[in-house]
Amino acid sequence: MQIKMGIFLCDCGGSLKNIDFPKISGNLENLEDVAFVDISHNLCLEEGTRAITSRVLTENVNRVVIAACSPEFCERNFAGLLEKLRLNPNLLSLANIREQCSWAHEGDVTGKALELIMMAADRAQLLQPVETKEIAVNNEVLVVGGGFCGMKSSLELSQLGIRTTLIERESTLGGKLRELEGFYSSQRETMIKAVEKEENIEILTSTEVAGVEGKIGDFSVRIRKGKKETLRSFGAIVFATGYKTEVAAGDFPLKPGVNIISQERLAQLLQAPTPEAKPDTVGFIFDLSDENSRFPTLATLNSALTVKQRWGSEIYVFCKNVKVDSEGAEKLYCEAREQGVVFLKFDEKPTISADDGRVKIEAKDVLLGEDVTLTCNLVVAEEKFLPSEGTKGLSSLLKIRTDPQGFYQEENVHLYPVSSERKGVFFIGNCRGDLGLGRVLTDIFSVVAKIRELLSPGVVAEVDRVKVDPQKCVACLTCIRVCPHNAVQLVQIDSEKVAADISQLACDRCGICAAICPAKAIKFEGYSDEQILAQIKAIGAS
Amino acid sequence: MNGEIVAFCCEHSAYVAADAAGKQGLHCPENLRIIRVPCAGRVDIIHILKAVEEGAVAVLVLGCEDGLCQHLTGNVRAKERVKYSETLLKEIGIDGRRVAMFNLAANAPHKFIQAINEMNERMKESGEEK
Repeated sequence: MQIKMGIFLCDCGGSLKNIDFPKISGNLENLEDVAFVDISHNLCLEEGTRAITSRVLTENVNRVVIAACSPEFCERNFAGLLEKLRLNPNLLSLANIREQCSWAHEGDVTGKALELIMMAADRAQLLQPVETKEIAVNNEVLVVGGGFCGMKSSLELSQLGIRTTLIERESTLGGKLRELEGFYSSQRETMIKAVEKEENIEILTSTEVAGVEGKIGDFSVRIRKGKKETLRSFGAIVFATGYKTEVAAGDFPLKPGVNIISQERLAQLLQAPTPEAKPDTVGFIFDLSDENSRFPTLATLNSALTVKQRWGSEIYVFCKNVKVDSEGAEKLYCEAREQGVVFLKFDEKPTISADDGRVKIEAKDVLLGEDVTLTCNLVVAEEKFLPSEGTKGLSSLLKIRTDPQGFYQEENVHLYPVSSERKGVFFIGNCRGDLGLGRVLTDIFSVVAKIRELLSPGVVAEVDRVKVDPQKCVACLTCIRVCPHNAVQLVQIDSEKVAADISQLACDRCGICAAICPAKAIKFEGYSDEQILAQIKAIGAS
Repeated sequence: MNGEIVAFCCEHSAYVAADAAGKQGLHCPENLRIIRVPCAGRVDIIHILKAVEEGAVAVLVLGCEDGLCQHLTGNVRAKERVKYSETLLKEIGIDGRRVAMFNLAANAPHKFIQAINEMNERMKESGEEK
């Protein structure tokens, strides 16, 4: 097809004074394939939209070059406009003559601006339309882990009409909800009941994930219950496998036993219908080894308050600092102080010794500046916050990284905290690190929103944006190895030939595979070798 | 080409930084030509070598900071490729210092300008600049 290019120049309301637009226009008009060159004052405003619309339609152009501000601002608008004009949005090429030309230099930059536009025009010559197509996806979701996060997200998903399968390794739902006090204890019964009642949720207990294949929209998951394995297919997978806590043996001088107990044991004692004996004094210790993190602080504050309410004991909390940076922690801390919980802050490690069936704690309080000696009936020991047992196995099964502490590693901590590098696999809550309740809830809602967006019926995706030429592909597996998003798979082309195939839903358009392919079989439309080289050739050509 | 610097800029970081530099009025050398790429990992050795062949005085690949690549390994791969092109250039008797990789964040326009200026300085030293 004959290429017919329309070029629009925008002088940003007449503010780009160091570019001579009529001169550029004169130079461009005589080029081959150029139908017209238009100078406009504000392409981003309504008048600009009108100008583009009328010119593109009357001249019937099939490539559009726009020289204006940075594509960061305008690319989406102009692409959308072309789509409305029944022109493929990929046939648009932009030249950044404002931020990277007019504003970046002093004095007349007409020459550079012309060159940038020539680069964009040469690229435009080679652009091909990229079609979009509706892709059928499986909109069932698998949630792994039946704790607070897992149940809450299943409930949220099912309320949106998304069928959810909730699997739990233990024989009952609840997870850590069973041992946590405060807000969590109020959720314990109601939440499990709500999940069991919900029609859209299928609950599988004593069940584990044995294998995951496939890609977003079409994962096939092997689920193991006892010795029986079943193959199920899901559109997305949510991991809410939680955490575990452990009394760090090296940190604590005395072994946990009757008087020195873990948080978990304390919860059991508190939940017992008839407590054996109510201890008079209860001590909590944390920050022994390092500055402790949010979660143990929250757990301690919650437990301390519950002990105060149920048993009315005297409570002393030994710590370096109370970390109240998570949501609701400040309130809990104030409440605890009001109820009479005493916080003692040490700098040097306190000595803990047994004293006639009780536990003696000696510490130097930094605020009082004096030594404090306390004898407690019961001491609740510091616990370390660790990833739950299955985390390591699951991460290697899914080919997903873990961070130095062993928690699941987010794809990008700042940009996409709940996504993994495998599209369609999400992490929520404490399986990705130590989060407070507020952040856990944020996680849940953002994952639910993401899944809804990704798996809504009639998902539209670009087809052939990144494409493998099966004739050139030698199935060397390099692309499969390097793809950061696990988007490449090997498929059978015909009886003899296998070739790589890129899932357009899972692909994130980075182009790493296109650069690395030794056979140059992968073409990334918009940034193909030819298109990049055309831009290089155009530099200094005019 | 006639003594231009070609900079392949990752659209997540360096390209945004270049925009910000313009916005803040940080002036950069006029011989700079930016080619936008979706990730530094898209830049292939052929692109770097072709740019040198066409007459670029220097070729820069600018990607995200270490460990912050949106595509996990794009910037690492880009660095390896730049290193390899360096050795290739040396082998045929061209100053390998004409190609370089820099890591910067989107909010570091001064670092962007620094990178370009450093490259210009390098070329002045070796007498490549025209």
